[in-house]
Amino acid sequence: MAVALTVVVAAAALAQSKSTLIGKLEGPEVVTDPAKFPKTLKEAPQLAELVRAGKLPPVAERIGQDPLVIKPLKEIGKYGGTWRAGFTGPADFWNGFRCCSGPDHLMFWDYTGDKVVPNLAKGLEMQDGGRAWLVHLRRGMKWSDGKPFTADDFVFWFEDIYRNKDLVPTPSAVLAINGKQGVIEKVDTLTVRYKFPEPYYMLPDVLAGSTELAGQMWGYRALGGFAPAHYLKQFLPKYVGQAELDKKAKDAKFDSWVRMFLEKNDWARNPDLPVLSPWKTVTPINTPTWALERNPYSVFVDTAGNQLPYIDKVVLTLAENLEVLNLRAIAGEYDYASRHVDLGKLPVFIENQQRGNYKVYLDPGDYCDLIIKFNLNYDADPEIAKWFNTADFRRALSLGIDRDQINETFWLGTGTPGSVVPTDTNKYNPGPQYRKMWATLDVKKANEMLDKVGLAKKDAEGYRLRSDGKGRLRIEIMTLGGQFVQYTQISEMIREQWKKIGIDLQVQEVERSLALKRTAANEQQLGAWNNDGSEHLFTFPLHVFPFEVDAVASSGPLYAKWFQSGGTQGKEPEPKMKELMEKWKRAFGVPEKERIQLGKDIWRIAVEEVYIIGVVGQGPAAMGVRVVKNNMGNIPSRQYNSPDGKTPGVSRPATFFWKN
Amino acid sequence: MLAYIGRRALLAVFTVWAISVLSFAIIQLPPGDYVTSYIAQMASMGSVVSDEEAQALRIQYGLGQPYYVQYLKWMKLVVQGDFGFSMEWRRPVTEVIGDRLWLTVVVSVAALLLTWALALPIGIYSAVRQYSVGDYVATFIGFIGLAVPNFLLALVILYFGFTLFNAHVGGLFSTEFQDAPWSAARVWDLAKHLPVPALILGLAGTAQQIRIMRANLLDELRKPYVVTARSKGLTEARVILKYPVRVALNPFASTIGYTLPYIVSGSIIVSLVLSLPTVGPLLLRALISQDMFLAGTIVLLLGVMTVIGTLVSDILLVWIDPRIRLEDT
Repeated sequence: MAVALTVVVAAAALAQSKSTLIGKLEGPEVVTDPAKFPKTLKEAPQLAELVRAGKLPPVAERIGQDPLVIKPLKEIGKYGGTWRAGFTGPADFWNGFRCCSGPDHLMFWDYTGDKVVPNLAKGLEMQDGGRAWLVHLRRGMKWSDGKPFTADDFVFWFEDIYRNKDLVPTPSAVLAINGKQGVIEKVDTLTVRYKFPEPYYMLPDVLAGSTELAGQMWGYRALGGFAPAHYLKQFLPKYVGQAELDKKAKDAKFDSWVRMFLEKNDWARNPDLPVLSPWKTVTPINTPTWALERNPYSVFVDTAGNQLPYIDKVVLTLAENLEVLNLRAIAGEYDYASRHVDLGKLPVFIENQQRGNYKVYLDPGDYCDLIIKFNLNYDADPEIAKWFNTADFRRALSLGIDRDQINETFWLGTGTPGSVVPTDTNKYNPGPQYRKMWATLDVKKANEMLDKVGLAKKDAEGYRLRSDGKGRLRIEIMTLGGQFVQYTQISEMIREQWKKIGIDLQVQEVERSLALKRTAANEQQLGAWNNDGSEHLFTFPLHVFPFEVDAVASSGPLYAKWFQSGGTQGKEPEPKMKELMEKWKRAFGVPEKERIQLGKDIWRIAVEEVYIIGVVGQGPAAMGVRVVKNNMGNIPSRQYNSPDGKTPGVSRPATFFWKN
Repeated sequence: MLAYIGRRALLAVFTVWAISVLSFAIIQLPPGDYVTSYIAQMASMGSVVSDEEAQALRIQYGLGQPYYVQYLKWMKLVVQGDFGFSMEWRRPVTEVIGDRLWLTVVVSVAALLLTWALALPIGIYSAVRQYSVGDYVATFIGFIGLAVPNFLLALVILYFGFTLFNAHVGGLFSTEFQDAPWSAARVWDLAKHLPVPALILGLAGTAQQIRIMRANLLDELRKPYVVTARSKGLTEARVILKYPVRVALNPFASTIGYTLPYIVSGSIIVSLVLSLPTVGPLLLRALISQDMFLAGTIVLLLGVMTVIGTLVSDILLVWIDPRIRLEDT
């Protein structure tokens, strides 16, 4: 009753304001034309103070000759102030990477999330038909401790970190093409070359996306593509000797030198680590407050020549649980919050806008917020395995879902019901007809299809009986609690809806370690998750087909193993799936036009075969409800919302500022 | 007396050892280990940890060894006063707990003092004035206090605090004092935040203690020695406070056994709801992520506190109630 009432009130509140909540997609832009570069450089007052005191070199010297110029969304900002936000503990490091890392990728996306633009690198140059790429670095660019950022930092990372088996036990899939590893070499101080045995046209996207080659956030796993050589050498056996390093690690109470190295190379944990981001950690994430301060050597500047960021300090305070975090946001105690903000509380957020002096924005994602994966490799029960591998069975189940009801209840009507395909404007979207294909409510047709595949017999309660005579056909769905999307509650609703097509669904919410164990052991039947990131089909394919073994919900762990091992392990996929996988692999070595065609083909197969059911998407469920103080400047009315965009990273938080 | 305490202390050491074994075993019970939960966490954020990397992590954390080896390794550290390294926070366990321990003690002691300050007088009053209006009111409120779960009360107070008084939501400090060094202003800030959690944490205990005090005192009030005292012409206040109340205090002394561990852990659920930076939420988080040294240390600490608390209550009881004879033990 109470829930129903809330929904009604919410729907009314939203009907009023939905149009004002979802604005126009906009954002700042990177200026690449040197003619439009600022002539002089300026800096924050406290840094100017340090320069006068002789404690810091002048700003022009700190930034170098090739600043990374960003045209702020609306206006040139003012220096000063603190940005308050919340985080949930040491595991929440993405929180800070998204807001404060710059991002520090070599390349990055423009605000639409479609186009790759230069970022820390001045530019990329393709050579030898895609077999080599030159990365041009910025002249005079420096680490946050004032030491130059050069090609040596790339070679150091590649030779001493990446190739050290203790630090990186498995070579990265993104530094390889068709399973063959590439190399990184120095051309001169400011030029780096990536070399691959086969053409690798996707490299710019890989450097821009949230992949293992994209910046220091991956340092905690020894990846990232570059690392501060001058600082990290003291933690490597090659430079200080094994015995001495072991002693050093022991004295600092680390289990091993490897642990110590990973700790020292962690952007969120080590305040001493030289970084390239606009802000740098000053109190680490494993304390009650994670605080970041401006990097005096930040290479980011605005079009008037002001060194970015505008805001002095970012302070994230630990919230012991999500309810408190949300209540604090409602109370206006955060200046900008979107991570962990609960869509279900949207009406309360809207209601308190004035009191909290904030405004609510919605940033719908380009992907599907709720998908249901069939584990095509499930083998513990041959009957269920048989049905999961029957396309018409999967399609019928998809037709049995009332997506509108789910959208109204859980997305408050802000989502788009449909299949797994990304938003219509995505370059890999195969066409508008694929949104609805096998993804509308059609109970009659679903029942007919189920009757036809051989599940016509029902028991007294109207549930379909197994074809092997062992009673009712029961299917299990595995869900996780405490996530951005309410998987368990939505699955319960689907359970009710599937009664109409005679399918008995059992919802099992499990703890996440157990979920992982069961997925890896091939014990999962259906799994609920979202496919965020899949709008960048080639850098984030995890939720499109069985790509990796260790996923929270898997559509086929044995297929994934087959795919990763190049066909030597696991199980060979059925022809359609195999075709899909081969197309995905091929796309890395072909020019963009061909790649787009392959991408469309992949989505077409995915939708036609319904390996994964899409339910509701393009909604703001995952980090898409944004609460921002009214006096914060350069805030976009809508932004590209995706892990690949490190949202709000794509809106360049370094350009946010306090108007008064 | 000394022999008694000695015997008790020896038993306590053995109990603590048993607790350490048990706590370690309990932490190993759920499927997987810290690395599994770490991988799951990574996976839910879209990054994938390979089998080789997981293996390397297990070696780094020493998780591949048999349980008894891990236990002995941990015990060796504990004996040296080092409780190991928290895997999730990647800081020494003593530091992680230390951050929160003092605040926990402050909150819990405040709650405890509040409980006693309210429960004792009200309990005495409602026993002496049995079936008066005041007794009914106290009984009514007491039962409500017992029946309403603390965390619900916390939510309600949080909500009204926010909607009616614009109070800071959760926590023990305002944002500006969160990390500030200790100063008079910071202590004042803490004092301003303290009443709400102390009240919420204290209320259920208060209700319970009122009932206990009332029941005990009612038993005592009917005994002949009270009549004797009264007939000697003592003032009513002196009659009540000097004799029956003192006897009725026994249960308060015997509950110290479980108040001590409570003082170091706080109430887990209420602390979570109110976002108090206390040890309780830390324990919950450590158990979920299977951060075994941290969880183990907290469980061990709670065990030790219970043992010490029980010892203290035993001694206190002997001291305040001469009727308890040592030979009985």
